[in-house]
Amino acid sequence: MIQLLNVSKIYPNKVQALNDLTVKIDRGEFVFLVGPSGAGKSTFIKLLIREELPTKGQILVGGKSILRLRKSEVAKLRRNIGIVFQDFRLLTDRTVFENVAFAMEVLEHSKKEIRARVPSVLEMVGLDGKGEYFPHQLSGGEQQRVAIARAIVNGPRLLIADEPTGNLDPETSWEIMELLNDINRRGTTVLMATHARSIVNKMRKRVIALEQGRVVRDEEEGGYGYES
Amino acid sequence: MKVRTVGYFFKQAFKSMWRNGWMGVAAVTTVAITLLIVGIFTLLVINADFIATDLESDVEIIAYMDVEASRSEVLEVEEQIQAIRGVTEVKLVTKEEGLEILNKKFGQDYDLLSSLGGVNPLPDLYRVKADSPENVEPVAKTLERVAHVDKVDYGQDVIDKLFAVIRWVRLIGAGLVLLLGLGAIFLVATTIRLTVFARRKEIQIMKYIGATDWFIRWPFFIEGMVLGFIGAMLAGVVLYFTYDFLVTNIRFSLTFIPLISDMGLIMKILGSLLVAGTFVGALGSLISVRRFLQV
Ligand SMILES: Nc1ncnc2c1ncn2[C@@H]1O[C@H](COP(=O)(O)OP(=O)(O)O)[C@@H](O)[C@H]1O
Ligand SMILES: [Mg+2]
Repeated sequence: MIQLLNVSKIYPNKVQALNDLTVKIDRGEFVFLVGPSGAGKSTFIKLLIREELPTKGQILVGGKSILRLRKSEVAKLRRNIGIVFQDFRLLTDRTVFENVAFAMEVLEHSKKEIRARVPSVLEMVGLDGKGEYFPHQLSGGEQQRVAIARAIVNGPRLLIADEPTGNLDPETSWEIMELLNDINRRGTTVLMATHARSIVNKMRKRVIALEQGRVVRDEEEGGYGYES
Repeated sequence: MKVRTVGYFFKQAFKSMWRNGWMGVAAVTTVAITLLIVGIFTLLVINADFIATDLESDVEIIAYMDVEASRSEVLEVEEQIQAIRGVTEVKLVTKEEGLEILNKKFGQDYDLLSSLGGVNPLPDLYRVKADSPENVEPVAKTLERVAHVDKVDYGQDVIDKLFAVIRWVRLIGAGLVLLLGLGAIFLVATTIRLTVFARRKEIQIMKYIGATDWFIRWPFFIEGMVLGFIGAMLAGVVLYFTYDFLVTNIRFSLTFIPLISDMGLIMKILGSLLVAGTFVGALGSLISVRRFLQV
């Protein structure tokens, strides 16, 4: 599904965020991307959604290089990737339903499709009956569920989450993890950047550990590492 | 692109216009004032052109005969003048008739002839009309070579001056319109910039979801074009009713000023204003979309 070959990223300010990275992620996997702040996790994600281009190396998504894409092809790439951020990024002047429906409107789905699909996705993420609420009327965990609903409503094959539990308390974080796990079990590949040690240790999924832009560890059913 | 999507674009555009409030009003007003001035100057110029042409086609050429020429000599050339190409009317005004006209000007009681010592100093003259303004000059030139013609005079000076004035009006109008037009484009651009700023979060989400660039841009273009269009409508309405009022009133009070009241032409001008307004709006939003909407 995803392949990075000898990828390096040096930002214009000469900061080397990624250093000769080679990583392969298969369809249907659940992968944690861990590492301390500044290790290059977000940069890794930005390369996958073509927000940034690598300085060196090759990146394949779905078997195709994403280095030379026209703008319309970038849009197409992103349609196959759902993305969730730490700060939710919801539209505060719209209801839960409208926030999720927005993702479908933007891709020109019909009203009928939207009315049929949005409630079932809201139910799936555990927001049944909250469609008419506004974001400020929801808890942090619920807001993140809205963001996840928006990310998966168009049925992407890959879901990327950049520290999705960073703003949540441990219990709520755990609920979000169960939701992501659920989504993964339904066939969506999930890539999650985090530095939440307890979650990673409990989940027993594949762990790719980054440090100063290099992969320092890559193991199936791994733990966070750095015992201390 | 689907019809529903177009509906979505317009909905977004109108929402933004509502939200931008006074900034949008300022942009619309500037577009309206600009186009109003475009309209006023256009009407001014075409009317001045029309009046000048009207005067020109009315121009009489006056051929003064030699004072010494005898009446029979004068009469002899009338046919010759009539035969000049482009001449439609030839009318002899004898020196006696000329004196009478002068006398009328000075008043009934005044005896001009005796104060001149009993000698009429006026020449006989022919009033000649040409069939078209372009023929005035050639006819005048030919008249100069007719026997016993002393001097040829026609109102070309006045008309040339009028055309010079029209040229200036055009130039000043064009300069003014250029300045105001730039101002209008700038204000539309600023308004759209506000919209881009207000929607930056939405735009970012749209990009992550995979919306195409044009899907993101269209609402901004539409907002700009609608602002321009509304401005043009305002200008058009004000211009139409003001001009209509002028035409109706001048026709009765100042009958000698012929104003154009050709509905087809007026509608063409109003239509052009609408197109220009929409264009100004599109240009303004293009500037902001290109500079501030990094998609
Ligand atoms: N847009 C950018 N421009 C310059 N430097 C950046 C940019 N984004 C990230 N960096 C730098 O790259 C390094 C890796 O950052 P990041 O990928 O955000 O790490 P993480 O998400 O693991 O905290 C950091 O040193 C950061 O300061
Ligand atoms: Mg980060």
